[in-house]
Formats: sequence, structure tokens, C-alpha cells
Amino acid sequence: MSTQLTAPGQLGGTLGAIMVPARMRATMLRRSLREHPGPTVAGLVGLLAAAWLIRYALRGDQHTLGLLAGAWVLGWIVLPLLLGGGRGRVRPAHLRLEPIGGVPAAIGLLAASAIGIGPAVSLVALAALPVHAARYGTVAVLVTAFGAVLLWLLGLIGSAIALEVVGHAGGPAGALLTGVFTGTAMGVAGSLWAVFPWVSVLLVAAPGEVVRAMAYVPSAWPIAAVTGPSGQGVRLMATLVGIVALCAAAYIMLVRRVIAAGAPFRPRRTTAASPAAAEREWLGWVPAATRAVVGRELRAWVRHPLRLQYLAFAVVYGALLAGLPLLSDVDLLLPWAGPLAVLGAAAMSAGLVGLDGTALWLPLTTPDGERAEVRGRALAWLVLVTPIGVLLTVAGILLAPDIDPLAALSTLPALLGAGASVPVWVSLLRVRPVADPRHPTAADNPTDIVSVLVATAAGLLAAAPVLALVIWGPPEAAPLLPVVGLLSGVATWWGGVWLADERFARRGTAVLAAAGQRSRPPETVLPLTWDMQWYRENKSTAWALGLLTVGWIPVIPQGLMPLVFGIDSGWIVAGHLSGSAHTAVGLAMVGLGVAMLLTGLVLWDRRPQPGGP
Amino acid sequence: MIPPALEIRGLVKTFAAHRAVDGIDLTVHPGTFHGIVGPNGAGKSTTIGMAVGLVTPDSGQIRILGHDALRERGLTRALTGVLPDGLDFPERLTGAELLRYSAGLRGLPRATATDRAAELIDVLGLAKGAGTPLADCSTGTRKKLGLAQALLHAPRLLVLDEPFEAVDPVSAATIRQVLRRFVVGGGTCVLSTHSMLLVEQMCDEVTVIHQGRVVAAGSVAEVAAGGSLEDRFVELVGAEASGSAGLDWLTGAR
Repeated sequence: MSTQLTAPGQLGGTLGAIMVPARMRATMLRRSLREHPGPTVAGLVGLLAAAWLIRYALRGDQHTLGLLAGAWVLGWIVLPLLLGGGRGRVRPAHLRLEPIGGVPAAIGLLAASAIGIGPAVSLVALAALPVHAARYGTVAVLVTAFGAVLLWLLGLIGSAIALEVVGHAGGPAGALLTGVFTGTAMGVAGSLWAVFPWVSVLLVAAPGEVVRAMAYVPSAWPIAAVTGPSGQGVRLMATLVGIVALCAAAYIMLVRRVIAAGAPFRPRRTTAASPAAAEREWLGWVPAATRAVVGRELRAWVRHPLRLQYLAFAVVYGALLAGLPLLSDVDLLLPWAGPLAVLGAAAMSAGLVGLDGTALWLPLTTPDGERAEVRGRALAWLVLVTPIGVLLTVAGILLAPDIDPLAALSTLPALLGAGASVPVWVSLLRVRPVADPRHPTAADNPTDIVSVLVATAAGLLAAAPVLALVIWGPPEAAPLLPVVGLLSGVATWWGGVWLADERFARRGTAVLAAAGQRSRPPETVLPLTWDMQWYRENKSTAWALGLLTVGWIPVIPQGLMPLVFGIDSGWIVAGHLSGSAHTAVGLAMVGLGVAMLLTGLVLWDRRPQPGGP
Repeated sequence: MIPPALEIRGLVKTFAAHRAVDGIDLTVHPGTFHGIVGPNGAGKSTTIGMAVGLVTPDSGQIRILGHDALRERGLTRALTGVLPDGLDFPERLTGAELLRYSAGLRGLPRATATDRAAELIDVLGLAKGAGTPLADCSTGTRKKLGLAQALLHAPRLLVLDEPFEAVDPVSAATIRQVLRRFVVGGGTCVLSTHSMLLVEQMCDEVTVIHQGRVVAAGSVAEVAAGGSLEDRFVELVGAEASGSAGLDWLTGAR
């Protein structure tokens, strides 16, 4: 009996092998949809967005449409990295033991990737391109439809490559990307008042600079191919086909490598011993034990994916919060990019001890190890964040030469002092260990909202003397601002160090025990849909969520924006008043918001735990 | 008179309603190898943790080389080298960086630290682990690196929790040789283990802990009472070596 397959048999076998991943994926998807409502809800939201895009395509601007289509494809590639889209996905490594070649495996895996809510909704959304081209005739519709399919393939293959190379590597690239994306999302969300007018302009007609830039963006090419000269159309579509073919070839090589090597692609893990430069000669004035902790911390900052993610988030968040108002021609915040990034970095450092698991046993078994640990952590943070804060502040000052930078410059040392030491204390006080300190993922984020708020509040407290002098002080006091900021920073540094010392020296073994407590009680499950029964049974949790969500409105837009930045647009209550009434209402708003947030925190901490009594 | 290397009196530790350590007394003579054995959950690691300051006792006294371990923490920490079981390391550091960090924490001069680290890496066969982040090292390599950092500052008392777990036989033989030289040189080594063979081969004295109490202590020969230490251990902890009853379905005709 021959085991050789005939040619049709071979073809059938290859086709069968191609179909296996697709069938696996279909089964996984069915099971996932039965068990979790999340993907269905996300799919419905996506469909609404796709419907809006198609509606916009009917009458909207072609360049803006190209930009939105590009953003959609980019989101398809990036979002699964951030939202755990790798779960439930058939990966090349799953086919390692199967008798299948690289090309059929890659085709099968891409076919499997195409099965899902995301790809289906994306295909609907990209139909906006032929819808827009309908005004140019049937040929234009066919060309743009082909272009839409090419863009869809680009998203499909790009997402598969990104998940395989970045998502599963858990390396610095994925961490940085996650930090940049979340920082951007939060930065845009925090600057909606400035972004909305710009978006409104963009939706009516793309400004000249956007039109010029879109000539180089592939998502604009399908429509440009039917609106420009015929020769240009052929060239644009051929280039788009070439890009898709290059991506496909890259994916085939990646799959072949994983299958042939018998191991998924991973960045090199072995790290050469650092040269003597890493011994921090310039920290010679610091005690040796503290210097050792500084060295350890700085290495952890550049190697730990979650730390990198936090840092990238803080930098992008601060820069965007200060820079995005430029879209509405407001450059008042630009010098504050540095202070905002520093405040963000402090907030994101409020759970770092939990990232290290039980590694604190080392300082607990060395003479005076606790002091070295506290000071080393604080000093390393300062060494890392100070240049970032200074650079962003200087960049902001250079970009907005008409804005007086004294307040921002004076606030910076205050925030640096508080940001370096208070988060060390907070993270020793509220240890939230990650499940696996050796290989943490973005989902293991140990930072909790209380720690973040305490670290942020400490920064604001340190900045308060400077801000108070800016708002209420006489103009003659302006030269004193830098000194006040510096003193405030030094005071909060020592305050934070003293608190952290106290905590670690007196309760070091309790901190270590908390760091080893990895089996946490189950998290409160929040319903994704409107569930009256749940709200009736979890009133305090529902109130806490409401207060923690809404409490920011009185604090920031109704309080700090009119008080500190003099922004008094229509819906800001204090903006309708002047003089002391303006200040009083602004302060009352801050007080109201703080009270709401504190009440929310207390209620959140008292929420009934699942499985509890 | 030379004080005991480790002296524990009336040590108690309770976790919630569970009394993990229930009035343990333990004396480790200087210049000896002392084994602590006991079944899983007997309280060995908790006792060792309290001895080196990683767990706070509810009551009791601990003296290291004559110094009160609870009051003179700095001094006793300087005299002690510790290898705990199941705790994390600074996972982003490579093995070599861990040794440099540990040396820095203990204030060793850089040249001394570099020479000692290089020797330890060489002797313990850690060339690969020295350049690999700890998060990516095998359990055996982590144990060896942990042992290297415990030895780095030349302590007088070495407290090792399961030092041979997941270590390959060749490395284990090397470690045994290193530890013997340490004890011959006047150091004292306390180790907890499940291997009775290891205790018989290496230890001068042994303490058997069961349910948070010491059930036997003395020289290995005294505790073994003429038999094998393993049989005596099973007898002391009040359990029969089960496994002969039940599971008929496993051995029956198929």
C-alpha cells in the first residue's frame, strides 16, 4: 500500500490543512460568544461606528474619509495588542506538530483570523470607500471596493503580525506601544474640549496640511485613484497591492520560522553584563547600598514591560494634555507638559512594589536594607523622570514663547520631590502583587485607584503653595515662586521618605507577606449591560462608580480650569461670575468634587466582595 | 565560651487560626552542619523565616552568634547569609547583576565584589545564568544564584531553605563541596530539606519538626537511633509509609 498521495489527493490534503485553523477558530468563537457578552457588545458598538462612517462617506470630505479609514485599519492592528485580542486566536505555534508547510499554514491562519466580529465589522466599515466613490460611476465603485478589500487584508495581516511579534513577545515594544496608545486615549479624552472643534473642522473639509499628508497614506489611495489622473490611479493601486503582498510575504516567513524552529519567535533574552558605566560612578556621594538599589531600579525601569508602559503613558499623556489644546489655538498649557508628565509618572508609580513580588526579602536580610530600598527607589525615579520633565517643560516653553513659564517651572521641582518618594510609601502601604512577577502582562497591572489618587494628591499638595502664590499672591511675590517650589519639593521628598522608612522598617515582614499574597479575592464583576437586579444588590458599588466617574467634573473643568488657567467657556459655572464670586464658586466646585471622590473611594473600599459574607 | 551560631527559644507563630510554629527550641552549634527536616507544612520554612527576619514571631527569642536577632538586626544580618525558598528575585537583573546588587547592598568594595562574584560564577557553573535575566533562569540556576548571593559576603552563619531543590546532580555535588569547605573554615550551615540521605551525608546534627513542634533533635546518629534516618523520620512524624493499600484498579488485570 502506497502512502504517497496523488496530485488531487495532495491538493485536497493541503486544502484540508488550510481549513483546519479556520474550523478551530470558528469553534473558539462560538464558545466565546456563548460564554461572554463582551465581544457581542463590542461588535454592536463597532457596527454603529461603521454605520456612521458609511453615512459620512455619502457626503463627507474624501481626505477626511481616507484618514478615518486609515485610523480604523490602524486601530484594528493595534487594539488587539492592548485588549488581549491574542486570546482565542489560532497561532502558528499551534500548528507546530502538524504536517503542514509555511504557505498553507499562513493562508490557513489568515483565514482563521478573518473569522470573527472584528474583521466582519471592519469589512462593513471599509465599504464606506465604494459608497463615497458611487458619485464617480460604476468603475470607481469597483476600484475603490478592490482598494477597500486590500486595506482590509492589510489590517488582517498587520494584526496577525503584530500579535505574533509584539503581543506574544511581552517585550519592550509591546509595552511601549500599549503605553503610548493608552496615554493617547487618555490625553485625547482629557482634551475633548480642545479636540472637538478641530474634529468639527476636519469633518467639514480637511485642512490643507492634512490633504498634503494624505497623499502618502495608503488608506486615501483607493479614492485618490478614482479622483486623480488615470495613470496615477494605476500607480496608487499597484503600490497598495505591493504593500499587501510584502506584508503577506513577511507573515509567511514568520509562520515558517515558528513552525520550522519549533519555538515561537522571541527577542533575545540573554543580556550581557553591564559595563562599569552602569555602576553609577556619578552617584558616588550616595551610600553604596542605596547606589545598588538605584542601579537595580534603573535596570528594571528599562527592562520591565509594565514599567516601560507606565512611563510611556505618563510622557504621552502629559505631552498631549498640554499640546492638544493647540488644536483650538490655546497654547497656555504648553509649558505644563513637563509637570503634567511628572504627575502622571508619579501616579503610575504608586504600585511598583507589587510588580516585584517578594523580591523585598533581599533588603530585609541586609544591614540597613530598608533605608537603602526606600531611598534607592526614590532616587532612581528622580534620575529617570527629572530629564523627561525638564525636556518637556523646556520644549513647551520654546513652543509657546508668549506664555509666562514661571509657574510651570516652579511647580516642577515640587512635583518631582513628591513624585519620587510618596509613591514608594504608597506602594509599600498598599501592596498589590502581580500574579507572576517573572512574566507579567499588561493584564497584571497591580496599580489600584486609591494608590493612584493618593500619589496624585501628594503631587498636587506639593504644588499647592506655588499655585496658591500664582493665584492669590501679589505680583511682587513672583520671583519667590521657584524657591517655594524647590522647598516644597524637598519637604515632600523628606516627608515621603520618612513615611516609607517608617512603614518598611517597622512593618517590613508584613509588606513582604502582602507581596506574597497572590491569591486575591475575586474582583467585583461589573455588568456590561443594564442589570437592575445587580444595581439593587450592589448599591454601594454603583454609587462608588458613579461618584468616581462624575466627581472629576467639579474638580477639573468646573474648578481648576477657571481658577488656575482662567478658562471660562459657556458651561463652566464660575465663568459667569467675576472677582471673589468667581474664585469662591471655583473653590466650592473643587471642594464638592473632592468630597464626591472621597465618598466614592470609601464606598468602593466597602463594597461587598464576591463570595464574602 | 563560644555562643551557639543560632539559638531559638519558645518561638511561636500563628497565621489566623493555624499555629504554624508552636514553641520551638533549637540550638545550632558553631562550625557544624545542622539539618532541619519535617513533612510539608511542619513549620520549617516559617522557623527559618523568623530566624533570618523575614517573618515576625508572635513570641520567643532568637540569638545569632550571641546577638539578639530581633534587637540587633543590623549586626545579625551582617553575620548571616540567606537562601529562602519560593521567594522572588529582582527578576529583571541578570545573575551577574544580582551578585553586584547584593554586594552593593552589603557595602562590599567593588574590586572584592567583582572577584568574588567571578569566582562564585565559575565554581557554581553559572556562566550562562550570569548573563540571563533571572526571570528566564531555570529553578536550578535560580537556586545556585541565590546560594552565590548568600555566600558573597562571607557570612558566619548560612541559612538555606531547600538549597538542592531542582539542582542537577553535578551541581549538587559542587555545592556540597563548597558548603563543606565553608563549615570546615569555621562557618555554620543550617539547611532545611526533605532529603534524609542528604542529612545523613552532610549534617552533624538534625532537628525534626512536626506540626510546629520539635519532635527530635541531636546528632544524626542519635536521632536515627540505630536505623535509617528515613525510617526514624516516618516513625517520628506518626505516619505510616502508605501506598500499599487501595488503588486495586491500577494493578488489576486489564
